[in-house]
Amino acid sequence: MKKYNAIPIIFASFFKSGFKSMRTRVFILLSLIPVLLMFIVRIVDSSNAGDFFSKVMLSLYFQLLIPVLALFFGTTIVNEELDNKTLVYLTTSPVPRQAVILGKYLAAFLLLLLIVGSGFLLSFLAAALNRLGQAAAWEELGVFLGTSLLALFCYSALFTMLGTFMKKSILIGLFFVFGWESVVQYFPGVTQKFTIIHWIKSLLPIPPGEGGFLIFQLQPSPTMESVAVLLLAGFLFLFMAVFIFQRKEYILSDNA
Amino acid sequence: MTAVLRAEKLSKWYGNILGISDINLEIGPGITGLLGPNGAGKSTFLKIAAGQLKPKIGSLQIFGENVFGNHLLFKRIGFCPEHDSAYMEMSGWQFILLLARLHGFAQTPAAALSEKALVTVGLLESKDRAIKAYSFGMRQRLRLAASILHEPELLMLDEPLRGIDPLWRIKIIQLIKEYEKQGRTVIVSSHILPEIEAMTNEIVLIHQGKIFAKGDIQRIRGLIDSHPHQVSIHCPDPRQLAAKLINNEYVLSIDFDAQGRGLTVKTNQRDHFFSALMRLIVEDKMTVEEITSPDDNLQAVFDYLIGK
Repeated sequence: MKKYNAIPIIFASFFKSGFKSMRTRVFILLSLIPVLLMFIVRIVDSSNAGDFFSKVMLSLYFQLLIPVLALFFGTTIVNEELDNKTLVYLTTSPVPRQAVILGKYLAAFLLLLLIVGSGFLLSFLAAALNRLGQAAAWEELGVFLGTSLLALFCYSALFTMLGTFMKKSILIGLFFVFGWESVVQYFPGVTQKFTIIHWIKSLLPIPPGEGGFLIFQLQPSPTMESVAVLLLAGFLFLFMAVFIFQRKEYILSDNA
Repeated sequence: MTAVLRAEKLSKWYGNILGISDINLEIGPGITGLLGPNGAGKSTFLKIAAGQLKPKIGSLQIFGENVFGNHLLFKRIGFCPEHDSAYMEMSGWQFILLLARLHGFAQTPAAALSEKALVTVGLLESKDRAIKAYSFGMRQRLRLAASILHEPELLMLDEPLRGIDPLWRIKIIQLIKEYEKQGRTVIVSSHILPEIEAMTNEIVLIHQGKIFAKGDIQRIRGLIDSHPHQVSIHCPDPRQLAAKLINNEYVLSIDFDAQGRGLTVKTNQRDHFFSALMRLIVEDKMTVEEITSPDDNLQAVFDYLIGK
């Protein structure tokens, strides 16, 4: 088997089993909460639905759902194999380890994309029901979808990497999402650039004053720079994940 | 002998815990049994051989190549791990087919090989059930199917008979012997001597991470037979029985239990002692309620051999 021929096989198998898993079902339900909120706003006050859509997208999707989903899907790529002691079946197959992790990463990424993308689309439809004929509305959806794609790529690559070398990676990941990302993004100057959310927010059509914390505000970076940083960081995290996974020995149980 | 597996000064430890230490070993075609009590280092050795762990010191080569990170070598190796693990949400068929596909077979030959492996372990009829609905023994057989589906030249089985019912034990032992007849190499670990005895004469005794003895099983049997055994006998009149046994040449010592309901005899010739005891029971009509041998196990043999 050629070096990367196993990727589609691993991808297809784990996408299928991931799609049917309880965890995916739970996250699909969670991702429908913003949709529900959008429909409620639509019914109660349809004139502010568009504005509310942007705020929901930022606070619920980009600051909560996307990093949390990426955390749970990313860290479990390796950790679940260790907890269930199944890694041995993949690593005693004539398949390079990089194909194992890339195949599983792609399966997790597509699942995330489907969960988030479908929630986005439904929320958008609820918010923009009366302006579906306007190009601007679709443009806005395109920006949100594109940004969510980059956000999912970067966060899931980061948490995949974390899962390759840390058994309790979920705890560290939660600290990163709710500690580092939530606080440092509001620091002044270049400090906020050390968060992923800074680069994500820089791509969103949200006024700089919105979403502020204390006296500090988002100081957006240029669009192209943000796209480049998110792509570069994502690929770097993924490369690191592959690098570690290829070299690390995983001890599955008490050794006899 | 052409060595299929060669370990040189192989050592592995986990923090302060020793896995294996300074193992030098060559294994050639045929069946080799790794025998040792729980925690002896058998699984650590097999995990290094299966590329799951890296040696701390020394090397282990299979077909002349290092194993860790050498994925292509697994075209020639089958490994059945000790733990009860599988992708529980998948069906048995999905699991085996996935592994067959990962071995590089296209869909049709992969399906044919998967079916053949499932037939071999008697799981074809249950192939569409989720693995989580399988019994422990069925999962063990599924793992065995996973290790043989690509018909490897070297098959490594870590405690393969654990949890298997007696009928399937016999069939699996036959399967392993069949592999030997085909000129393949099988390494099988167990902590149960009769299991290994049923498969092969060639054994490697592992204890506390070291190779304790290697060779023909009859030699080991001899050591076991001459190992001082304790035999506990429950009877209504232990003093009378002790009086008749004390002059027996195979009896080393006799201890009475605290309740006065029995005695423990230490003998260095277990079989001869039992013959003498049976004669007493039959000829002198001695009443005996229960006979047990508290150290008739592998750990006791090892303790004896290492002089504990």
